Amino acid sequence: MDAAPIDPSPERAELTTEAPPVPATPSSFAPMFAAAAWIVPGLGHLLLRRWVRAAAFFIAVAGLAFVGYTMRGEVFAVRSEDSFGTLGFLADIGSGAFYFLSRIFESSGADLSRSAGDYGTRLIAAAGIVNIVAIIDAYEIAGRRRG
Amino acid sequence: MNISHLGGMILFALLASVAFASLGHRTCAGRVRHAALCFALFMVFAVGIAWLLYPLSR
Repeated sequence: MDAAPIDPSPERAELTTEAPPVPATPSSFAPMFAAAAWIVPGLGHLLLRRWVRAAAFFIAVAGLAFVGYTMRGEVFAVRSEDSFGTLGFLADIGSGAFYFLSRIFESSGADLSRSAGDYGTRLIAAAGIVNIVAIIDAYEIAGRRRG
Repeated sequence: MNISHLGGMILFALLASVAFASLGHRTCAGRVRHAALCFALFMVFAVGIAWLLYPLSR
């Protein structure tokens, strides 16, 4: 019995053609871009010449942090009393320079006696989380994992 | 400078939408559409959840 003929249509050829291999490991410079993205939000993308993403991440992280500090949210220290404080610290430190400059931006300290201060705490944490996403994105771009 | 709860929520939705949109699309038009949709969904869900919780606050 003869085997079924192979369909020579271009659609089938496109389906069966394998995509070019994607490197499984990132380039050796990827951690440097990730570190740059952490220290100054958007810097990693700026060095990778992703201008729009660099601007978008800087505006988003700086804006969230600034609004959080304006609402007098709490900035968690390294040594916190409980695990929620530790999680808060991990989120806050994601914003890099904005975490280390928090004493300048929020010179009067946190005010959790009002609900606005509590909301500000969440906004500061959100700034760090958004920058962590930016760090991962810069790392992946530098590692040629995505376009 | 005092920022109200609603103002804080709107700013959060706006800034988070900008970040998400920059990740999701490569074209400018796609980013603008994604940011607008994301912002609208943030607002709709925030106001909707606020109204759902309103009876509990009384």
